[in-house]
Order: sequence, then C-alpha cells, then structure tokens
Amino acid sequence: MATRHRFQLEGQPRNVVVDEAGGALRVAVDDGDPVLVDATLSGVPGLISMIVDGEPRRAYISRRGQGFAVTVEGRTFVLQPASSARGRGAVGGATDPPGQISAPLAGVVVEVRAAAGTQVKTGDTVVVIEAMKMQNEVQAREGGTITAVHCTEGGRVEKGDLIVEYESAP
Amino acid sequence: MFKRVLIANRGEIALRVQRTCRELGIETVAVYSEADRNALHVREADAAVCIGPGPALESYLVIEKIIDAAKRTGAQAVHPGYGFLSENARFAQACVDAGIAFIGPPASAMQAMGDKVSARRLMEEAGVPLVPGANDIDADDLDTARREADRIGYPLLVKAAAGGGGRGIRLVESSEGLEAAMRAAGSEARSAFGDAAIFLEKYVSPARHIEVQVMADSHGNVRAFGERECSIQRRHQKLVEEAPSVAVTPELREQLCDAAVAAAKSCGYQNAGTVEFLMDRDGNFYFLEMNARLQVEHPVTELVYGVDLVALQLAIAAGKPLATAEAPLEPRGWAIECRINGEDPYSNFAPSVGLVEFVQQPMGPGVRFDTMLFDGVDVPVFYDSLLGKLIVWAETRELAVKRMKRALSDLIVAGIQTNAPFHLALMDHPDYATGNVSTSWLESEFTMPQPPEDDPRERWALVAAGIGASLVAAGSEGPATQPDAGRWQRAARARSVGMRVDGGGIRGWRRGIGSS
Repeated sequence: MATRHRFQLEGQPRNVVVDEAGGALRVAVDDGDPVLVDATLSGVPGLISMIVDGEPRRAYISRRGQGFAVTVEGRTFVLQPASSARGRGAVGGATDPPGQISAPLAGVVVEVRAAAGTQVKTGDTVVVIEAMKMQNEVQAREGGTITAVHCTEGGRVEKGDLIVEYESAP
Repeated sequence: MFKRVLIANRGEIALRVQRTCRELGIETVAVYSEADRNALHVREADAAVCIGPGPALESYLVIEKIIDAAKRTGAQAVHPGYGFLSENARFAQACVDAGIAFIGPPASAMQAMGDKVSARRLMEEAGVPLVPGANDIDADDLDTARREADRIGYPLLVKAAAGGGGRGIRLVESSEGLEAAMRAAGSEARSAFGDAAIFLEKYVSPARHIEVQVMADSHGNVRAFGERECSIQRRHQKLVEEAPSVAVTPELREQLCDAAVAAAKSCGYQNAGTVEFLMDRDGNFYFLEMNARLQVEHPVTELVYGVDLVALQLAIAAGKPLATAEAPLEPRGWAIECRINGEDPYSNFAPSVGLVEFVQQPMGPGVRFDTMLFDGVDVPVFYDSLLGKLIVWAETRELAVKRMKRALSDLIVAGIQTNAPFHLALMDHPDYATGNVSTSWLESEFTMPQPPEDDPRERWALVAAGIGASLVAAGSEGPATQPDAGRWQRAARARSVGMRVDGGGIRGWRRGIGSS
C-alpha cells in the first residue's frame, strides 16, 4: 500500500510517500531516496519511535486541525495538509485478473502516470485517484507494458472500474 | 509541628512545598483559581479551596480569601511560596493576626528589606559592603541627583526605591542621560509602585550575580548555606542558576556568608532568605537586596548542601531552633538549574501557553524536575511562564553540564514550545563551559542559534507525519475485524484520540478509543 501525503510546512509544499513493505515502512520525502523505517507508535496523538539503519529517532505527533504537529528534539513542526489533498494509497485491485487494473475506490482521476506503450515495473504508480481530499496511488502489481488506459485525467471512476490494461513482461 | 499547612501559591512551587509537607506527615491545603482547577497541586492536596477567577489580582493576591480559606480548613500555618503574596508584609501580618503561623520572616523584617533605601541604610550600619550610591532622591530633584552622580561616577543606575523584578531601573552612561533616566524611572516607579522616590547606584560591570542562602530561627541563630550564581539573566530574569560559583573561593565564600548573616541579623530576620550581591572581577562584592522568601532557585543549594530548605522553613516557623554547625558548611559537588519556560526560543522567546498534550520527564541519576507539567494540563495565560525547573547534580561542574544536556534532551513537551533548545545551546557555549559570564553576558554575547536551513529534525518530522497520516487514514476505512489487516490498520484501530474537553463542568483532556 503506497500512500502519498502532501503537506504544507512553513508555506512550502512537501511530499511524503509511505509504503508498507513486509512490516517495515518505506518512506520517501520529496522524491528523495526512500528509507526503511521500523516505526512504532501508540496512536495519534502519540510518541512515535523510528529506527532507521539501526539509529533510533523519536517524535511526538498530534493532530493540529486537519494536519499534524510533530515535536522532534525540542522543535515543533506544524504540517498542514496541502490545499489539494492529503493522500491515502491503495493497491490497484488486489483481485484483478492478470493484465487488468481496476479502480480500488471511487474518485476523480488526477493523474495518469503511464500512457499506453509505457513500460512499468512492479510497484510503479500508473494512476492517481483523488477521493475525500486524499490522493491514492494505484500501482502495478507486476511488470509489463501498458496496452490501454480507460480513464482520463479529471474524469470520474467508480470502484472496480477497469482503468488500465497491460501485457505482462515475459 | 503543624498538622495542616495552607500553601498560598500555585505551579511547581506549590507542589514543591506540598511534597515536603507530605513527607513530614503534614496535611496540605491547596488554593486555586478557576484557571488552575486541573492543576497538579490541587489534585495532590488534602484539601482544596477555590479562591476566585484566573487573574491573580482576583485570586492568589487576595489576602482575605486566603486567610478565609486557612480558617475554614483549619490550617495552622501558611506557606507563601515565592511571588504573589510571599513578600507582602500586610499578608504576613494578617496571618499572624488571624492566629496562623506565617512560614517566612516577620512583617517588620520584610518591610525593612522590601524598601531598598531602608535596606541600604541597615546594611551600612551592619557593615555589609554596598555599591557606592545615593539614597532617597526625589525623581524631580535633578540638582541633587547631578551632584550625587558626579560623586559616584558614571556609568550608574537609576533605580526606583520601591522597585523589584527589574522594573524602574535605568542605566545612565554619562551625565547627559541622567535627566531622561530619572524621569523615566520616576514615572515607571510611580505607576508600578505608587512611589516616585529613586536612588542612584554605581554600575558594577561586568558583574556576577552571587547570592547567599540564609536560614534564621526564632532563637537568634542564623546560618548561611553558601552561594548560588545566577548571572545568566535576560531582562533581569534569571534563567540558569548554579551552586557553588566558579568565581567563589573558600575564603570568599566565608566573607560572603559572614556578610549575609550580618545582613539577616540587622533586621531581625527569620526563616529562609536570600542576600543578593553583585561581584566584580576582583572578587569585590556589594549588597544588592535581600529577598524575604524561598527563592525559585533554592534546589541547587539543597543539592550541594544535602538539605531540605522547606523542611527547615517548617521547623523554624514551628519554633524549633536550627542545629548549630560544628564547622562552616562546605558544598559537595555541583548543581545547576535550568528554568523551563513556556516560550519559543526560535521566535524571540515569545510566550507559548496552552494545552500540553504530552510530557516526557527527564529522569535518572542526579536529575530532579520540579514541574507543574503533566499530559493534559492547560497552561493558563494568567501567570508567569515557568513550567518547571530542571535541576541536576554531579560531582563536578563539567559533569553537571553534561548531565544537564542529557536531561534537557530527554525532556519532551508537546503542545506548547519550551525554551529547552535555548538551554541546550547555552550549555554548549564555550563561555558557559568555563563559567566566564556576567549578568550582561547573555544579552550582549549570546545569540540563540537558529535552526539550520536543512535542519535534520525537519526530515524526521515529515517522516513521522507521513507515518501518522497513514495510520489515521488506515483507521478510517475497513471493518475492525478484517483479518488480513496490515499492521497499520490494526494499530489504527487501537489508536487513542486526544481531545480537549471543555463544557458541562468538565475541563481537561482525555484519551479515548474511536475515530477522529
């Protein structure tokens, strides 16, 4: 499950992509290299413990309006949701037959990342669907070549609609 | 000994006094304003009396309400803490008149020391060194002021006779500035204290703030508990205190203690008091003022002298004599106190008050944290910004600085901003490490380092926020029993939601299970 979160921090838009991978989390900030984070927290609000490359970090996180306040080593950062969206991801239809990707939820297509003819790898985002002010990245479950895209940017899709067809890589 | 003591204060000092009382088996009565209903000192007392609305003028400063609360609850004594009514002679007298012991000096000693001009006269008679100066000048009498100023020499300070807390003080560099300073100090004194009398004092600079703790019993015994150094100040407000002082030798300590004892004896002082001195580079020290109360920074003395000053205060107020020392007291090890204030060091120390969502208190060897903080306390806007005092003890000053840094980085306060990052930066400063400071050092030499452009903490905040947002999102979808739920969905379901509760007579903060 990949989740893209868009925040405003001191007026600057910031992106955080969180990906749950086998109990650990892969987190990338602003298109930087993702890091594997072993994280535990008791909730929001709560104290979060993050271990990256064996180094523990901690922060206290609480809700602040629609966003969060995060206290790290004596400094508090207030992260508001970006005006457009705060994201939540979903795997492209877990029950889709090979060669097809369906919309995991109803929403508006805000981005088509992979046009017909594009080569994709496992986990690549093919379409971004926005719902309830959250952006959801729909990802390829296997590598291959996109053969058809059945949605357009700005268009609405319903849950389960076939949105992308592809040919599996041999 | 008393059976029941009313503590006429709030915040960390109310808790501090309460703790000793409880250890000694003395019941405590808390007083509180409506804004402090949820405070720790209310929760932990044996009896609690509401004394009015938030503003101190309508609650903690109303003598009649406190006397009434003491009578109603059967308190035999009142401990005033610091601030509020602690140095109010009328209050001390009102307690005595009501048949309640006042845990502090008699009203007469308070009056003698409260007026700076009369205090200077007493010190002169007692042979306590004074900063060269001139007493009791009318703020409009410029001729006298000029004559005296020329005698004292510039730079000098113009001070309000009835002043305190840094108000009504003006620095004059040369004769041209005298008239304006007198007018300003006089009008400030008139409006703040209702008394326009001023005095002039030589400006000792650079100077250290050195103060001596004294305890005096009702049998004429006075003992000094060494010095504290409180040179780290901003706008005359102390921020860091320590005991002993790097600038005080054993010989100097003896002189300081002798002077402090003489000062206390000169006015028939009783109970805990502090004699403040300015000390120049050559070790010359001059009487500044006597504080007729327990000081905020008393714990550093407690740690290096192994004494509970509040317990001594209670014993003295109950008429017991001080144990006489066989030899002068020697400090053991080193203690440092950092005042943890609700203020933002990254935006010019602007006050930060409000709901504290989470606190992690520093613990471990040699660490003491006297604080009003707990998860869910709503820091009221009506009082000062002191949230707590972080105090450490170690064998040496160097180790104490290291321990303080460790304790400061262990402290987490979420919801409001504290000045802990300031203290950390201060502890790292080479001048502080060597103790090469004066009362003007902080304002003239120290700049709060602003966070770097690429503050690594920012990245961790983003990572944490991303994870938190995922958790929140996961918790808002899917049935709770979904068996193949990922770790984050499961965690989300158990998450606690904090909320401010304000209404229906309940005020506070609670954790609950549920969706946001």
